[in-house]
Amino acid sequence: MVRSVISIATLSCMVVAMAHAQEANLYETTLRPILEKRCIECHNTGNTKGGVNIDNYKEQARVVKDGAFWLKVLDQIKNRDMPPSTEPPLPDNEYEILVKGIDSVLQSSLRERVPGHVVIRRLSHTEYQYTILDLLGVEFDAKSYFPSDASGGGGFDNQGGALFFTPLKFERYYDAAEEIIGQLRADVEKWHAIVPFDYKQTWWQRLANWVKSLFSDNYREINAPEVAAEKVIVPVATKAYRRFLREDEKDRLIELFSSVYDATDTLSNPHRFNEAVAQAFKAVLVSPHFLYRAEEEPRVRGVYPLSNFELATRLSYFLWSSMPDEELFSLAYQGKLQDTLVLEQQVKRMLADPKAKRFAESFAAQWLGVSKLLENTQIVDPERFPEFDMTIRKALYRETVEYFYYVLTGSRNMLELINSNYTFVNEELAKYYGIEGVTGPEFRKVDVTERWRGGVLGMAGVLTTTSLPTRTSPVLRGKWVMEQLLGVSPPPPPAEVAELPKDEKSHSAVGLRKLLERHRSDPACFSCHVKMDPLGLGLENFDAVGRWRDSYGSVAIDPSGVLADGQKFNGPVELKELLLQEKQRIARNFASRMLSYALGRSVLFTDEPALRQLEQCLIDNNFDPQVFIATLVKSYPFRMKINDFRKKVDEII
Amino acid sequence: MSKKWHISRRRMLKGMGACIALPFLEAMALPGMSSPYSGSAGSPVRNAFLYLPNGVHPDLWSPAQTGRNFELSRQLSPLKNVKDDILILGELMNKNSIFEGADGHYAKTASILTCLPIKQTIGDNISSGGISVDQVIANAVGNETLFPSLEYGLDRIATGVDINVGFTRLYASSISWKTATQPLSKEIDPRLAFDRLFRSFVPGKAAKEDPWKRSVLDAVMEDARNLKKNLGRSDQDKLSEYLESIRSVEKRITSEANKEKFAANITPDIVKELKRLDQDIDEYVEMYAGVDVTEKTRLMLDIMALAFWSDATRVITFMFGNAVSNRNFSFLEGVNGAHHSISHHMDDPVLMEQYARITTWHVEQYAYFLEKLKSIKEGDKTLLDNSMITFVSGLRDGNRHSPRNVPLVVAGKAGGKLKTGQHIIYEKNTPLANLYLSMLHAQNIEVESFGDSTGTLNGILV
Repeated sequence: MVRSVISIATLSCMVVAMAHAQEANLYETTLRPILEKRCIECHNTGNTKGGVNIDNYKEQARVVKDGAFWLKVLDQIKNRDMPPSTEPPLPDNEYEILVKGIDSVLQSSLRERVPGHVVIRRLSHTEYQYTILDLLGVEFDAKSYFPSDASGGGGFDNQGGALFFTPLKFERYYDAAEEIIGQLRADVEKWHAIVPFDYKQTWWQRLANWVKSLFSDNYREINAPEVAAEKVIVPVATKAYRRFLREDEKDRLIELFSSVYDATDTLSNPHRFNEAVAQAFKAVLVSPHFLYRAEEEPRVRGVYPLSNFELATRLSYFLWSSMPDEELFSLAYQGKLQDTLVLEQQVKRMLADPKAKRFAESFAAQWLGVSKLLENTQIVDPERFPEFDMTIRKALYRETVEYFYYVLTGSRNMLELINSNYTFVNEELAKYYGIEGVTGPEFRKVDVTERWRGGVLGMAGVLTTTSLPTRTSPVLRGKWVMEQLLGVSPPPPPAEVAELPKDEKSHSAVGLRKLLERHRSDPACFSCHVKMDPLGLGLENFDAVGRWRDSYGSVAIDPSGVLADGQKFNGPVELKELLLQEKQRIARNFASRMLSYALGRSVLFTDEPALRQLEQCLIDNNFDPQVFIATLVKSYPFRMKINDFRKKVDEII
Repeated sequence: MSKKWHISRRRMLKGMGACIALPFLEAMALPGMSSPYSGSAGSPVRNAFLYLPNGVHPDLWSPAQTGRNFELSRQLSPLKNVKDDILILGELMNKNSIFEGADGHYAKTASILTCLPIKQTIGDNISSGGISVDQVIANAVGNETLFPSLEYGLDRIATGVDINVGFTRLYASSISWKTATQPLSKEIDPRLAFDRLFRSFVPGKAAKEDPWKRSVLDAVMEDARNLKKNLGRSDQDKLSEYLESIRSVEKRITSEANKEKFAANITPDIVKELKRLDQDIDEYVEMYAGVDVTEKTRLMLDIMALAFWSDATRVITFMFGNAVSNRNFSFLEGVNGAHHSISHHMDDPVLMEQYARITTWHVEQYAYFLEKLKSIKEGDKTLLDNSMITFVSGLRDGNRHSPRNVPLVVAGKAGGKLKTGQHIIYEKNTPLANLYLSMLHAQNIEVESFGDSTGTLNGILV
């Protein structure tokens, strides 16, 4: 009783106070108590009415992180939909405080450019593979050796939240390290690139050391193995950890070296020395400092920039899927990477480096979904499409990667992903497409006379992975265009959905278009299918493995359509032109996908200002990928960080 | 050279065609195969959970009669040789697979063994709601074997996120959860799976053990502890996975007692079977064409049987496919198309027929595994008698995505604790977790509840 009287009095003061002070913890001090009183009874962990749990939000930072959700909460309160009519309504002062308060918390997070927290990332299998190659020169097929990972965030395999560590994985990492170091030792040239000398103590050195040992327990050994070992172990570990080693880290590796060296006195040098060095290398390759890209958390408040080495690492894994090279490493060492001009130069240099193709491959294959082509699973029915074999699948995959790489580095207009007059083929693929005059296995840029081929919508790889094993699916293709190109996601179908008959024979009688029209006549389906279906039907001239066709057997294909906004088109060429008018959506989609890939996390509410800037950057610069990527790496979510709002565990067991 | 003369059982099966039901051929089983646990002293209970994606033909699953005198339904007909060893349980439901935002598949898969609601996320805060029942068992008995548990399947984790329902496809691909936030990795390659367990026991194949492993592990363990101090909380939680993994590996390599026990378990009978299987895996790799998955499935099931037989582990999960699996089943006679697509049959009799055939294929593989376990003696019982082998799907009818009355069979008597040979129909919407609780009790893991359980199931415990 007494408490409520006091709180009403204090609350009315707070409304005034709030207008002036941008409290850092407005949520905890003022909003949370009201929510506790009015909302949490029905929205807590044990009782999540409507799937909403407000009780979870104990900290302001958590509210900001889930800002998109809190916008909805705000809406509900504002419209007085919540609390529901069955509960007592919010008193006016509390209503006022909540509506203004939530709004202010969210607004100020955008104003203050709060970077989202990026969770520690284990190397993806692709990143592991390339890092090993760049570090030791050894090729290792990580993808087929390690248990597979899932994707998270924007649908990429480099998202920390979806990268797990398990006992089985640890075993595989260990075995892989053994295998990799074994390969390295077996290859004299490669080994010497890392360990450029054959360690040996001369008989004279050994004698001198023996004499010294007689006089003191604590003598300095001449040409001690530890000293020599440090010279080769430290550089490898430094590159592998992507920063300078701490003293204790170095000591542990040298200790490991010593314990092996001491225990192998039956071996002779340099074999004995190399054996011990190899064990230290193995430890480097299974160390968390190598397997994780960790960004440490100093005890500071607020937003602060990444450390130099952390920034170099983000940059190199973004554009090269691997560790920083010497230039990046030394720029980081000199502290120059924080300079935006230097960052721009580096982006330019990195994209010009052949290693940028790794980025093209990793990003494009996952974004466009063609990575499925390389997986060892059936995607089409082999009896119906025997010609769609692994060779053609690999060629189609390559086409997409080469095309994206060219757009990134050659054409420099990302809209050419959607429409152009060229594509990339080798002899095999040229035959498949019916393009003449191409011989040899290497991929090259060719002009396409049939304008439906230029761009991702004419790529048989994309067209096949958006089909079913035995037939095309205009719905899946339409959905793909909306999601992957326009960044719009239709809501899930109602629980009881029916798919089309699997066989084209059955729909050629009625006509696929008619079937879909019948489907769309159901009002539950209409609102989404009116958007998806025309996009997919416009691509019906491509069969389930992406080849051109004019009819389903005896029934001619009608590739015309009307988009949801009323614009008419006839066939894929006109469809592509209509799509290109959606500049804003396309730019937004590029921006959010690439930001998610670059950061290794989902796009958050607080990224909104950065996304707007990136979107505008594309539109203003004719969709130039280099300007776009430079803007991205200069943006606050990429360069800044903020500490986790949850309390650290100080005791480590 | 000798390979030419060797006609493996698998080749013979291949010649017979893949579509007919293939009971385990008794004649080919090694006569009198017996397990290391042949004494009368209690044999351990082995647990396997086999997950079927996309549901079953709803009308051809449950037997028409209940009780002990029931006739197997069409889709269950492959179980005829083990009819007295199975429990067919009706009307159980994973209630927590229905929640606001739950979709047709993911919410019913990741939680199939946790019975708690999963968190809707595209990847930033993955949670299965809680520990899965296989891991509860592994925590209780895992110390006694070399491997606390094994997680197998046929497919890689499904990649990408399903943005239109807002779930990462990890949820479609993971049923074993060490904790709510820690899915376990699935082994899908028969060669890697076999070598991890048995390589050192195949004559001529044993690799020398790395003498420095412990020193290397100690060094990096210290790295991890130091790193953890300097991280934020979410990162610390994530790094715990690393620390726990390394501890579990360390435990295995340092536990001489378990290693010796395991080595002692590898009887001459088991070595014979190991050699045969090793060769089959070699042949399989050679001729792998990728369409007919029967062979790969049986290799994985053979490895599982061997793992139980040699007591390498007592807990295994196996996924026939990820949820929404669109495996092409055209290799079956009378089937033309992919699993998930066919499961949306729209009550079309042609599609429903194909759906039933696909389900029957899965039950055939299950029966193969059960018969194999039954052919191995443990004292006066069989390995199957000392097991509980569960076959379950997250939904009944793929066309309706309904998680009510899930298809469910439990085989084996848990060493005499289960009253098998029955078809029981429970009250509608009885929690699936009640079965899991009963299974825990059947092996003396005394917990009061599991997931959303409300008690144990009537009529199945002795």
